[in-house]
Amino acid sequence: MAKIPITLTINGEPHEALVEPDRTLLDVLRTDLGLTGTKTNCLDAECGVCTVLVDGLAVNACLYLAVVAQGRAITTIEGLASPGEGLAPAGALHPLQEAFVEHGAVQCGYCIPGMILSAKAYLDDHPRPTEAQVREALAGNLCRCTGYQKIVDAVLAAASRMAGGAVAS
Amino acid sequence: MSRFDYHQPESLADAVDLAARFGGQASFLAGGTDLIVQIERGRVAPRHVIGLGRVPGLAGIEVNGRIALGARVTHRAIEQTPALAGPLRCLVEGAEVIGGHQVRNVATIGGNLVNASPAADLVPCLLALDGVVTLVGPGGEREIPIERFLLGPNRTARRPDELVTRVDLPALPPRAATAFLKAGRRRAMEISVVCVAARLALDATLERCLEARVVLGAVAPTAVRAHAAERLLEGQPVGGEAFRRAAEAAQEACRPIDDVRASAGFRQHLVGVLVRRALDRCVERARRAA
Repeated sequence: MAKIPITLTINGEPHEALVEPDRTLLDVLRTDLGLTGTKTNCLDAECGVCTVLVDGLAVNACLYLAVVAQGRAITTIEGLASPGEGLAPAGALHPLQEAFVEHGAVQCGYCIPGMILSAKAYLDDHPRPTEAQVREALAGNLCRCTGYQKIVDAVLAAASRMAGGAVAS
Repeated sequence: MSRFDYHQPESLADAVDLAARFGGQASFLAGGTDLIVQIERGRVAPRHVIGLGRVPGLAGIEVNGRIALGARVTHRAIEQTPALAGPLRCLVEGAEVIGGHQVRNVATIGGNLVNASPAADLVPCLLALDGVVTLVGPGGEREIPIERFLLGPNRTARRPDELVTRVDLPALPPRAATAFLKAGRRRAMEISVVCVAARLALDATLERCLEARVVLGAVAPTAVRAHAAERLLEGQPVGGEAFRRAAEAAQEACRPIDDVRASAGFRQHLVGVLVRRALDRCVERARRAA
């Protein structure tokens, strides 16, 4: 059965690939493009470790066919930090990444790329969320180290920094 | 080697032609949150997948007295459409409790209907709003009320070469309100143990029910209208006795099963509680809007 050529804009860079139509965006990102920051786990839209942004919306890349992503803008965890200069791989971390580091909002770390991308999509639409809203925004991302409190604290701190002011209580 | 060929029709006619050509070997792909899981689990094995992303006219929400929801309208779009936040509120309440944001951003109303899970959360809401499904196939277009569209778990009246294009909801009478309530073991990311959608239209005194819909999810092979409960409400004063009798009738109308999420007995108990609460909520909302 025929492969299909696709063009994806990933983290601002155009990428071309020739893919079998039954392959998921998750598989193509990790296997063909080497972007292994997006994780693989349940393959069932339960856990959220495969979360990426497609045209700014969070999706489970495990259930999203690569051919459906044709022509769309994809953001993965590798694309959040500002681009580095010269030989440096990356410049400044995104405020969400900084806040996760500062709050120690990481135990094993496997869920964190998905958490951060879900949080980014939500904060882009809701710059001043309440704690309850942050918890709801992250409902599709599971952390089995049970580190949720620090994750929520980090997202609220990042929201405050990104909005340049106090967070609604 | 790919398990299926992928087709990207750019018109409704081409989409239907492809389905007619491949028949039962083809699946339409909308959001994919059910279909891809089923393919990966080996439950379905289509040789052809027909992507609907390029077919125009399937993703719109038209509000013009009646409401027309395109089959590719996402749960996110329902949540974010202000025109659905009033008397049609049950739709928003059904949409916002499905999966996480990642699923709601892509999962569609047409997919939710065609997948026909007995526990689908949007389906009771669409039933409570007298939704009518439009199907387009090689023979043209036909309309079918959702109550007759749903045949059983994962079974609908859709033929393999037919595409669901939209759901129409007739205009509601004055002083109408709706509510959707869901019981699960946790608040988010949960399949319903029981869900209930209700709709009431009140008379000018706001004391008497003129019209009622009571719909139960996850307690029968399909979402079901509790017609007996509705008849006990219509023409009666709202509240107390009428709501208690309607809740009992709803409990009698359901045929729940025991499964890992809850016992049949507990489900039946929940039906009674949720029906009363949903009716109370409809009254509050209709009065507040009046």
